[in-house]
Amino acid sequence: MRRSFLWTRIAVVTLVGVCLVFHAHIGHVWASQPIVIGGSLPLTGEFAETGKLIERGMKFWAQEINERGGLLGRPVEFKIYDDESNVGKAVTYAEKAITVDKVDLLFGGYPGTAARAVMPVAEKHKYVYVSMGGHMKSFEQGYTYSFGAPPLMGEWWYEGFFQWMETVPADQRPKKAAVYTMNNPVGASLTGSIQKWTKKLGIEIAIDEKYNLPLPDATPLIMKAKQLNCDMLFANGFFGDGVMMIRAAKALDYNPKVILQGIGSVVPAWIKELGKDGDYVFSGTSLYNKLNFPGNDKLNAFAKKEFQIDGYPLYFGFGYAWMQALAQGVEGSKSLDQTKIRDWLKANKIETIAGPMKFDEKGLPDPINFCTQLINGQVELIWPPNVRTAEPVYPKPAWK
Amino acid sequence: MAPNTKVVYPGQMNSTLVIQSLISGVMMGSVYALLGVGFSLTWGVMKVINVAHAAFGLLATFMAYSLLQAYGVDPVASLAITIPLLYFGGCILYRTLLIRITSAKAVIVSSMILTFGIAIILENGMLLVWGADPRLLTTSYTSKVFVVGPFYFQYPPLIGFVMSIIGVMTIHLFLKRTYVGKAVRAAWQQPEASQLCGINLRRISTITFGLAVATSGAGGVGMGLLYSFEPHSHNLWLIHLFLVVIVGGVGNVLGTALAGLIIGIITGLSMAFLPYQWVNLLTFGLLMIILVVRPQGLFQSEV
Repeated sequence: MRRSFLWTRIAVVTLVGVCLVFHAHIGHVWASQPIVIGGSLPLTGEFAETGKLIERGMKFWAQEINERGGLLGRPVEFKIYDDESNVGKAVTYAEKAITVDKVDLLFGGYPGTAARAVMPVAEKHKYVYVSMGGHMKSFEQGYTYSFGAPPLMGEWWYEGFFQWMETVPADQRPKKAAVYTMNNPVGASLTGSIQKWTKKLGIEIAIDEKYNLPLPDATPLIMKAKQLNCDMLFANGFFGDGVMMIRAAKALDYNPKVILQGIGSVVPAWIKELGKDGDYVFSGTSLYNKLNFPGNDKLNAFAKKEFQIDGYPLYFGFGYAWMQALAQGVEGSKSLDQTKIRDWLKANKIETIAGPMKFDEKGLPDPINFCTQLINGQVELIWPPNVRTAEPVYPKPAWK
Repeated sequence: MAPNTKVVYPGQMNSTLVIQSLISGVMMGSVYALLGVGFSLTWGVMKVINVAHAAFGLLATFMAYSLLQAYGVDPVASLAITIPLLYFGGCILYRTLLIRITSAKAVIVSSMILTFGIAIILENGMLLVWGADPRLLTTSYTSKVFVVGPFYFQYPPLIGFVMSIIGVMTIHLFLKRTYVGKAVRAAWQQPEASQLCGINLRRISTITFGLAVATSGAGGVGMGLLYSFEPHSHNLWLIHLFLVVIVGGVGNVLGTALAGLIIGIITGLSMAFLPYQWVNLLTFGLLMIILVVRPQGLFQSEV
């Protein structure tokens, strides 16, 4: 009996010892097991240049967080698929990352058409998806796991400009506007705020036309605006059609008080290719390297060292900012449980290089109202006043 | 519509705007024609649909861009370098690859597949060398205008128009007046008989293909003077190539030129009288009607 009791005690002690050793080992393995963040980016094809910048921004974030000891004490690593700038493939790879690779987290994709298509996939599998989204419509589908941090939102694009214009004395404001908008969802997203604000500021819309891409020629459009004495021109298009408008305006010596250009003027090629003719164009953005929020200096220093440029490229910043938001959700909820991350993000304020953000039920922060103007070949922040980097040039000087 | 909106409807157009729209359309259409001439030639004469034609044109545009940026060479002057390069490139391409499929039964389909692959290689090569950023050919005359009364003629489209006339007439006269040109036509009208007359079919085919590829260079620079371009722009240009060639009649050089002008006029008139968003709908609607009514195009093949 006594002998049997002794053996039982030895067995229990051995078992406890084995369990302790095993637990310690497993704990160690789990702690060193990387957190895998998966998804796709357009690394080849039409959007490759931008996709690669986003990838660099994400990897810079990963390098930084790994040097600080990782996320939840675990290193992070990416599993990035190349969707070849194809929306269908972006959806397929998002499904694959979630269901086959069983990644811990999902990262945001590009462009807006891909992000918009991946949002329902993320929702179906209950994965938090922080991206630029695909304008307001994509955030109005009832998705609960998608966040725009920051989003690229056409509906907010001109908010900052109009808020600034409101500060201009009424007698100095433009009187008549010509609005030319590309006929696609991006163009459509810009028009609502134009209607709302021009009415509020007493600016008459004399021309409101849509055109399909590619725009064959901008000369008749500019001629019409000139004939009707429109002193405000909205060129709501991409780079190609935006450039045609500017060139035609210069050729026809059309000098409105203000030119707003939707999306095309925020790409570096606008300044590089148009030179001085690209100056004084107003636009909007949801992120910029001259913002004075914490983190921008660090990114700019990295860009200077890595790319030999002053100021990080916009999409490098987007990649970084989306990961910043996702990481705060993970660290705040202290979990990789997607619902806990989502709930934490919905309930708390986060800090990003685009500024502090608090999300609403759509997963959107308060409207971002950065207004930009190209002055002497530099994109300057005009509005809101707390981020202003230069005084606006208004009215636009005549063409030289 | 918001109460502050007072939209100008097409009915309110004035004659100046209508004529200006027409001028713009004609200038634009002529450049499409220049780009389309070589495409029409290989399709109509050799039954080779060179899907890479616009990509070759784009390559010349990028080369013109680099020469302009690095040495200040005018894009039109750069053609002195790019056209011979494209000609020899076209000849080599024909001799090494295309010659293997020209005797195939389904030469049209085979050539489309083969040249599609070449277009992809060219596009990726351009991406590698020039990157994905959009580019512009900005010259000293880019924003200059020639004013006639109330009408504006911007220099770049005007230069494109002149280039188009010269290019189309050169190809037309080459085919009609020169021995080699006549041999080209003979070789493809009666391959066996022409060979009996001493025409070297292989040599003639090589010249034809080289020449067609060379004309894409002029068309590409013409397009570059009008529009921004990036490595995948050739896909868009290709759509217009099909449009002008099908409307003009495959293999008809002057027909292609006229088709370019017709499409330009239709585009110009639609810009003047219709909402701008209808322009492409109308243009491609026209293509469908022509395909149904006259599948051979508006004009007969010249060869």
